[in-house]
Amino acid sequence: MSPATEPIPPKSGLLNALKEFPKNVWNSVFRNPIPSNDLEKSATSFTNFFLHIHPVKVHKHSLKPSYTLGLGLISFFLFVILILTGILLMFYYVPSTTQAYDRMLDLRGTVAFGMILRNMHRWSAHGMVAVVFLHLARVFFTGAYKKPREFNWVIGVVLFLLTLFMSFTGYLLPWDQLAFWAITVGTAIAGYAPVVGKDIQFLLMGGTSVGQEALLRFYVLHVAVLPAILSLGIAIHFWRIRKDGGLSRTADADATPALEFTEPASVKSAGPEPRKTYGLQGLVRGPITKAGQVPDNTVFAWPDLLRAELFTFVITLSAILVLSLLFNAPLEEPVNILHPPNPAKAPWYFLGLQEMVSYSAFWGGIGIPTIFVILLFITPYIDRAQTGVGKWFAKERLLANTIFLTFVLANLVFVIIGTFFRGPNWAFVMPW
Amino acid sequence: MAVNLKRSSRAGTSPESMQRRRMLGWLTGLGLFGSGILSAISNFVFIKPRATYGQPQRFSIGKPEDFPPGSRATLGVRSLCVVREGNRIAALSTTCTHLGCIVGVSDTGFACPCHGSRFDQDGTVTGGPAPRPLPWYKLTLAPNGELEVDKDTEITPGSYLSL
Repeated sequence: MSPATEPIPPKSGLLNALKEFPKNVWNSVFRNPIPSNDLEKSATSFTNFFLHIHPVKVHKHSLKPSYTLGLGLISFFLFVILILTGILLMFYYVPSTTQAYDRMLDLRGTVAFGMILRNMHRWSAHGMVAVVFLHLARVFFTGAYKKPREFNWVIGVVLFLLTLFMSFTGYLLPWDQLAFWAITVGTAIAGYAPVVGKDIQFLLMGGTSVGQEALLRFYVLHVAVLPAILSLGIAIHFWRIRKDGGLSRTADADATPALEFTEPASVKSAGPEPRKTYGLQGLVRGPITKAGQVPDNTVFAWPDLLRAELFTFVITLSAILVLSLLFNAPLEEPVNILHPPNPAKAPWYFLGLQEMVSYSAFWGGIGIPTIFVILLFITPYIDRAQTGVGKWFAKERLLANTIFLTFVLANLVFVIIGTFFRGPNWAFVMPW
Repeated sequence: MAVNLKRSSRAGTSPESMQRRRMLGWLTGLGLFGSGILSAISNFVFIKPRATYGQPQRFSIGKPEDFPPGSRATLGVRSLCVVREGNRIAALSTTCTHLGCIVGVSDTGFACPCHGSRFDQDGTVTGGPAPRPLPWYKLTLAPNGELEVDKDTEITPGSYLSL
């Protein structure tokens, strides 16, 4: 098909249209033929909605499993599993104080695959809280929040808090003892916040105690409001990874002096200057025509990044499936508003908080967590040094890493005390 | 508002029309911003319930004879503990002042299972994180001979109703 040949006039006629119908439909859906080389794969990535989230090429450093541990991807895949299993569970769940618990029993007993879906939802939720936090810790320990990624870090912290709030709203829904008392305590903690605390508590519960109104409110937050905000946040988070120049890496990961290209003077003066063309990006950000000017440390997203993602997804899904087949999500006694279970324990990731509020409701539940969250938010605007980015536990970042690790370890100690060393009436007991 | 359409719709570049355009821009922005704020506030007004569907705060708990002298009866649904000593009677809250769990009656008074707050027989804090003693509620003898509790009115701990 050289441009010299005469353009063939399109054949008309119904018969011909019918003959070409399948081909025409296919070509209208898929703009490119099934790609067979890197160029065609790049073209497909560029024009396909589902693939264009990827850059055509990614830096080799971004694909190093030892750098990212795949934690961000795992968080996202867990979120996808949660959305899918959550939508399926919604077909059988009723947010009513008289029906919710019975629906849990139905899921366990009569609904086909009800048990495994609930298990998958529960274990993915626990997994997401853990993995999102580990992802946050990874980004901290590698200094990846530094310029120009400051705001994406802030969005990440918001996503972490939303994840916690998702899990908090989710565990009222089974309407069992843990659900009721955890939310009673949780909303009471919110009541200790200065000035607006009591109003927030009232708005969350839709009344003065945890009951039908609270269940309905938590349901709406859990299945509509928070997933929508979280999805939008994730989209912005991903978008900004691209716009901030991919994943963080050390400065020398971009430059390998041996490959630097120096033009001989004679060649330089021989011809006219190459004409530069600017894309939209070039106009906004300056020229991005870097071919031949920087050493190429990149690989094609298709197949290298796609392969890594598929691998991570399969591992994540398999792990959740195995866990869900081996362990059933707990369901306690139905709500009894007269008798809190003794001891009444929150899930493991809130036990550190519960241990802290057993000393002081304000400082444990509001003060210290707020200080920690504010510190997380402002970290990239306080820690401005550009050294130690892209390296785990860089020596230059010893102070920041130590402060962060202190908070994490302190919380871990509280979680361990709350889990193993607290007995009836929250009295200190030995676990053996 | 009398706006001369013919004049303002032409793209004039005189300082006067630029100024007007800038001001109209400001007013539009202000209007949009104000509407945004107003709708945000009205959303909060909407989700704040005007009527709640909880239990009534004033209710009858039965005749004094139901509580024999020396008894400490917990009325679970009402989160109350009715204490009678001789001819004196009082109603204490059993909702923990720390984070709202229901305290249980123990040998020495009350104990909270959630975070380990402890109270003595009068509801005074003896240990744990509870910031305040258990409230005492106003108790009255209604004309029909029944005891009536008003959970909206707290009274000084230790003030009993004499029968």
